[in-house]
Amino acid sequence: MIEISNLTKIYKLSSKQMKELKTKKNIKRAVENVSIVANSGEIYGLLGPNGAGKTTTLRCIATLLKPTNGTIKVSGFDTVKNSEQVRENIGFLTNEIKLDPQFSPEYLFHFFGKLHGVEDKIIEERQEKLFSYFEINDFKDKKIDELSTGMKQKAAIAVSLVHNPEVIIFDEPTNGLDIVTARSVIDYLKQLREEGKLIIISTHIMSEAEKICDRIGIIINGQKVADGTLGEILTKTNSKDLEDAFFELYKEYNKEEV
Amino acid sequence: MKTINLIIKKELTRVFADKKLVVSLFVLPVVLIIGIYTLIGQMQKAMLNDIEKHTPIIYIQNEPEGFSDYIKTTGFDAEITGIKADDSLLDYKQKVMEGTIDTIVIFEEGFLDKIINYKEGDLIPEVKTYYNPSEDYSNKARNQFVETVLLTYQKQLLSGRIGNLNNILVFNIDLNPEESVIIDEEKATGKFLGMLLPYFITMMLFAGAMSLGVDAITGEKERGTLASMLITPIKRSEIVMGKLLSLTILSCMSAAVYAISMVIIMPMMLENLSGGETEGVVLTFSSIQIAQLLVIMLVLVFLYVSIVSLVAVFAKTAKEANTYVSPMYILVIVAGMITMFQKGDAGLFYHAIPIYGSAVAIQKLLIGELPVMAFLTTIGSTIVAAGLLVFIITKAFHSEKVMFNA
Repeated sequence: MIEISNLTKIYKLSSKQMKELKTKKNIKRAVENVSIVANSGEIYGLLGPNGAGKTTTLRCIATLLKPTNGTIKVSGFDTVKNSEQVRENIGFLTNEIKLDPQFSPEYLFHFFGKLHGVEDKIIEERQEKLFSYFEINDFKDKKIDELSTGMKQKAAIAVSLVHNPEVIIFDEPTNGLDIVTARSVIDYLKQLREEGKLIIISTHIMSEAEKICDRIGIIINGQKVADGTLGEILTKTNSKDLEDAFFELYKEYNKEEV
Repeated sequence: MKTINLIIKKELTRVFADKKLVVSLFVLPVVLIIGIYTLIGQMQKAMLNDIEKHTPIIYIQNEPEGFSDYIKTTGFDAEITGIKADDSLLDYKQKVMEGTIDTIVIFEEGFLDKIINYKEGDLIPEVKTYYNPSEDYSNKARNQFVETVLLTYQKQLLSGRIGNLNNILVFNIDLNPEESVIIDEEKATGKFLGMLLPYFITMMLFAGAMSLGVDAITGEKERGTLASMLITPIKRSEIVMGKLLSLTILSCMSAAVYAISMVIIMPMMLENLSGGETEGVVLTFSSIQIAQLLVIMLVLVFLYVSIVSLVAVFAKTAKEANTYVSPMYILVIVAGMITMFQKGDAGLFYHAIPIYGSAVAIQKLLIGELPVMAFLTTIGSTIVAAGLLVFIITKAFHSEKVMFNA
C-alpha cells in the first residue's frame, strides 16, 4: 500500500537551469500538495503530459528524492525515515536507471538479487520464472551493450523484480517497446495484480491507462486534478473517453497557470 | 561487509571482462615504458659511442719545437693541423662555431724561448684554447687535450727548469684516489633511487586511480547505472566503500605493473647513465622495510582514490571530472618533486601533511632510516585525510542534488 499525503517537491534551480527554462524564479514546484492512496491488488496510473511531475512523484516513492513537504509511506514505512525498508519492498523501473552495459542479464540478475539479500536458491527459481516469461534465456549471457532496446527493457524488468517486491513502480513501462513486447509487459503487470501486488505506473498513453489501470490520477502542472476509476473520471468531466476527459481537465487547469 | 565484497567483485569483473580495458591498463604501460626507455637507452649509447669514436680535429698556431713528438708520447690521438703564425684566426673561430674544427690551440710567440730564458719578474707565456662547449666533440677534444697533453707538457717543462718536482710539490693528495672513497653502497644507491622513486611511485599510483575512478563513479552516474544500485536496500556507505576499495585494488595492480616495468628497465637506464657500471646499484630491503613501504603505499592509494572519487562524485560528466582531476594530478606530482630536492631531515611535522608526508616517508625508507614515529604519523595523517573524504563522498551519495542533479 502506498500513502502519499500532501506531497510537495520543490527544486532549487541553478542560474543555468533558470535560463534553460526561461524563468526568473530560482525554484520550480515540480509537485504540489499531491495526496494519493493506492492499495495492494490494483494498478494505479499516473496520467499527465511531459513535465507534469509524474516521474518526480515516482522517484519520491522510490526514496530517490526526499519530499520538500508531506510524507510518503510504502507498506507502512516512511520513505525518508525508513528508506532501506522501503527499498526492500519496491521494484522500481525507469528509463533513466539502466543496467551496466558491461554485464550479462544473468550476472546482473544474480548481483541485484544478492544486494536485495535474496538466497541463491530463490534467485535461481525467480530467474527460471522471469527469464522464461520474458524470453530472456536466448540472450542471458550476452552483454547488455549488445542487446536491442526491447531486450534491454525486458532484462531491466526481470532484474527489477528479482526480489519479488510487494510494490512495483514503473515509469512509462512500455516506452520504446515494440507492440509485442509492450503487450507482454502489460500482461505481466496484470498477472502481478492477480498475485496481490500493488503496481503504480506513469504514462501519457491514454489507451494504455484506460485498459489496465484500476484507478487513475491525472496530474497537470504538478497538481493532482482528478482521480478515481475510469468511470468516475468520465462522469466527473462528462466525457466519453479518457482522452476527452484529460483535455477537459487540461483546458481547465493549464489556463490557471498561464 | 558481504555487500561490500559483492560490489568489489562486480567492479573487478567489470574491468577484467573488458579486454580493451585490460590491455590499456595493464599491458600497454609495460610495453610503452620498456619500449620508450629501451629506445632512449639505445640512442644514448649510440651517441656516447659516436663521441668516443670521433678523432678530435685540432688546429695549433705557433707550435713549439718537438711538441708534435710530445703529443705522440702521450698517446693522444688527434688530427692536428698547423696554423701559420700570421694567419687571421677569424675563419678558424667560425669553423669552431660551426663544429668543423673541435679546438684551436695558440702558443704565444717564442713560447719555448720565454720559458727557457725565464727570469724572476718576467711574465710567463700563455697557451690559449678556443672551443665550443655546446658541441660534444669540441667539448671533449678540448678537455682531453688540456688534461692529457697540456698539463703533462707543463709538468715536463717545469721539471726541466727545477729538476726534482718534489721540491715544489711539498705533499701529495690521494696517490690512490679509489682507496679514499668510503661509502655505504646501500645508502648511496638508496639515495639515488630515493630521489626518483617517491616521485615515480606517487605519480603512478595517482595515474591509475585517476583513469579508473572517473569511469567508475562519474561514468556510472552518467550512464544511469549507479542509480540501479541506489534503489536496492543496501546502505549508501556500503556502495561507497565497495567502489573505493575496488578502485584501490585496481590502482595498486596498475601501479604494480608500472613498478615491474620500471624494475625491468632500471638496470638498463642506470647502465646508460653511469656509462656501463652497474655494480653497487643493487637495492636491498629488510622485510620490515618492505612491509612499511607496502603499508604506506596502500593507505596512500586509498587516499588518492578518495580524492579522485570526491571529484568524480560531484562532477556531472566524465569530461568535467577529468578537467577537475588534472590539477590534482599536478599537485601530486609537485609533492613528489619537492621530496627530490628536500635537504636534511624532514621533521615529524612534515609527515603529518598528507601525500607530501608519504613521499618523504618513502624517500627515507629507501635510504633506510624511517623512525617508527614518522611511519605512524604518516599512516595516521593519510588515514584521517582519507576518512574525511570518504565521509564527504558518502554524504554526496545521499544528496539527490549530486546523484540525480535534482
